[in-house]
Amino acid sequence: MGKYADSPEWADVVPISQQEHMPAPLAQIAYTDEYAEAMSYLRATMASNELSERVLALTEDIIRLNPSHYTVWLYRFRTLSALPTASLTTELTTFLNPLSLRHLKNYQIWHHRQLLVSAIGSYEGEAEFLVDMFAKDAKNYHVWSYRQWLVRHFKLFHSASELAFTEQLIGEDVRNNSAWNHRWHVNFADGDGLSDSGLVAKELEYAMGKIELAAQNESAWNYLRGLLAKGAGVEESKVVQFAVKYAGLDGGEVKSTHALDLLASIYGKDPAKKESAVQALELLADKYDPIRAPYWRYRLAMVNSGVAAS
Amino acid sequence: MSLASGPGLGGSSPDMLWADKHVEYIVSLDKRDDEYEYWLTEHLRLNGVFWGLHALHILGHPTALPRDDLIRFTMSCWDASSGGFGAAPDHDPHMLYTCSAVQILVMVDGVSVLDEPAEPGSSETKRMRVAHFISSLQDRETGTFHGDKYGEPDTRFLYNALNSLSLLGKLNLVDVPLAVKYIDSCSNADGGYGTVPGAESHSGQIFVCLAALSIAGVLDQRLKDDSKWADRLGGWLSERQISTGKGYGGLNGRPEKEEDVCYAWWVGTSLVMLQRSHWIDRPALRKFILSCQDGEHGGISDRPGHAVDVFHTHFGIVGLSLLEWSENKDGEASEPLGLEEVDPVYCMPRSITKALSRTG
Ligand SMILES: [Zn+2]
Repeated sequence: MGKYADSPEWADVVPISQQEHMPAPLAQIAYTDEYAEAMSYLRATMASNELSERVLALTEDIIRLNPSHYTVWLYRFRTLSALPTASLTTELTTFLNPLSLRHLKNYQIWHHRQLLVSAIGSYEGEAEFLVDMFAKDAKNYHVWSYRQWLVRHFKLFHSASELAFTEQLIGEDVRNNSAWNHRWHVNFADGDGLSDSGLVAKELEYAMGKIELAAQNESAWNYLRGLLAKGAGVEESKVVQFAVKYAGLDGGEVKSTHALDLLASIYGKDPAKKESAVQALELLADKYDPIRAPYWRYRLAMVNSGVAAS
Repeated sequence: MSLASGPGLGGSSPDMLWADKHVEYIVSLDKRDDEYEYWLTEHLRLNGVFWGLHALHILGHPTALPRDDLIRFTMSCWDASSGGFGAAPDHDPHMLYTCSAVQILVMVDGVSVLDEPAEPGSSETKRMRVAHFISSLQDRETGTFHGDKYGEPDTRFLYNALNSLSLLGKLNLVDVPLAVKYIDSCSNADGGYGTVPGAESHSGQIFVCLAALSIAGVLDQRLKDDSKWADRLGGWLSERQISTGKGYGGLNGRPEKEEDVCYAWWVGTSLVMLQRSHWIDRPALRKFILSCQDGEHGGISDRPGHAVDVFHTHFGIVGLSLLEWSENKDGEASEPLGLEEVDPVYCMPRSITKALSRTG
């Protein structure tokens, strides 16, 4: 006896238990009684392709017991789509939001959300909800992927609110690589941002400002290097002027291995600056980053042979 | 195969490999089906079987799990109508498990079960039906793959598709050049790759993209033609090694994240495929992995002091194999651990993929 077996609402359904499908001893899967019973009713309703209010209640029950069961999610969305009375917005706000905040590593939740928001056709309320999500884990790959999907789906490139959002997260943790990546996405992923020298210059200033807060922050340096490599109108001399503040050669103070790395790349392309490139790479290999010494020595060999690695 | 964690914690002596303990640990997982966590991880069951079985192969105990049971369980996850495999019986078919299923069948030399008719009396074989399931998930406009007919695309699924189709000898069913083009569109300014165009670079996605390029047959030529690309990506990957603090020698998956044993595989194998695995401190990485072992009950955890699980046990073992064999090739061999060689592209025993490429 159990919740479903005792319910008059489910009296017409003959549950299908797991054993009938399980030939191998390896596959013996132990269920708690509650979950096993709910699953046996799920098998029965799926077998008859029932799409009803009670199926919504059943799938909700199962998802609460085991949110990783991807089959149940797909079945739930199909049921929601088939029921004229079901409200997708309610599904989002009263069911999915609290569940997402409890199960941070769950992949199925985000796919379900994408299907719902796509069907609703609006992203209203999404930014507010995501603030709560990122407060729990500001680098969650699923949540960021979902946010990028929103940008692509609703064409939010260059949107002031998206940029303000990345600014807020970078303000909270300047080393949040996901936020930096999102900033790149919003600014440049639609194709024409990198040819806009005004935008590129503004972003270069932004990255430099953040490096001033944390000189050894790989994310900000990577952003700056991306602009240097792909952006229009970046003056290399200006970048050099900035980088030397963090990587003094000839016995000066070194505050950042990334600055040394960048200087070595730029100097390495100029035969007149070869000595400086060599010096920067030797400092990395011998003193500031010896764990990757073979990498820096490879770069050194490239510079010495006249083939500068960028 | 239980994916429940524990009972032990990683954190033993960093100098030796407790190989026999790990074998015992993996074999014992089959007998833990009375635990609460067992059904919570049901959605990964077939992956779990793959991780356990592959680790046993690399540890030199390929027959420690009964072959007949493995084949029977794998086929019980097969959905004849779609041709795909689910995570466990009655679960919807999905690319992830279909790839694991094919890899398991190949590893136990049981892939011939797929040469039976798909249904009694059918002229179509199970092999054809599996291959059609996989190829049906390619997006013919962009070249990427979906995990199932409802789901999002992910470069991980693209790799799963190329891996399993080539094992089945059916790569001709999909548009490989278009898949390559898609991978290129996922390349970021920092040199790495994400799940979809624009998504953050992540070591796991870099592994799947490089391995897919290799199966597509274009990686070698690119390494010759574009060493700057390989240098930039190799530089980003080598930057993943932690150079200070308690995680020293370990690898992370993205900038400013914590070290974790499983990245020994994703970063390590990417560097091997780029022919730049000597760019990191391999002895330091080996020490880090070994320090995540539970020397008493067996198993490996994500980092020292955490509970062991089959996922990190697998990636720890294959990571160690990768280190041992790449050092051997570079003539920098340290103390051998006696592990079988892993194929960096397929994530399967090298002896098996070698035999396949001879016959196929
Ligand atoms: Zn891990």
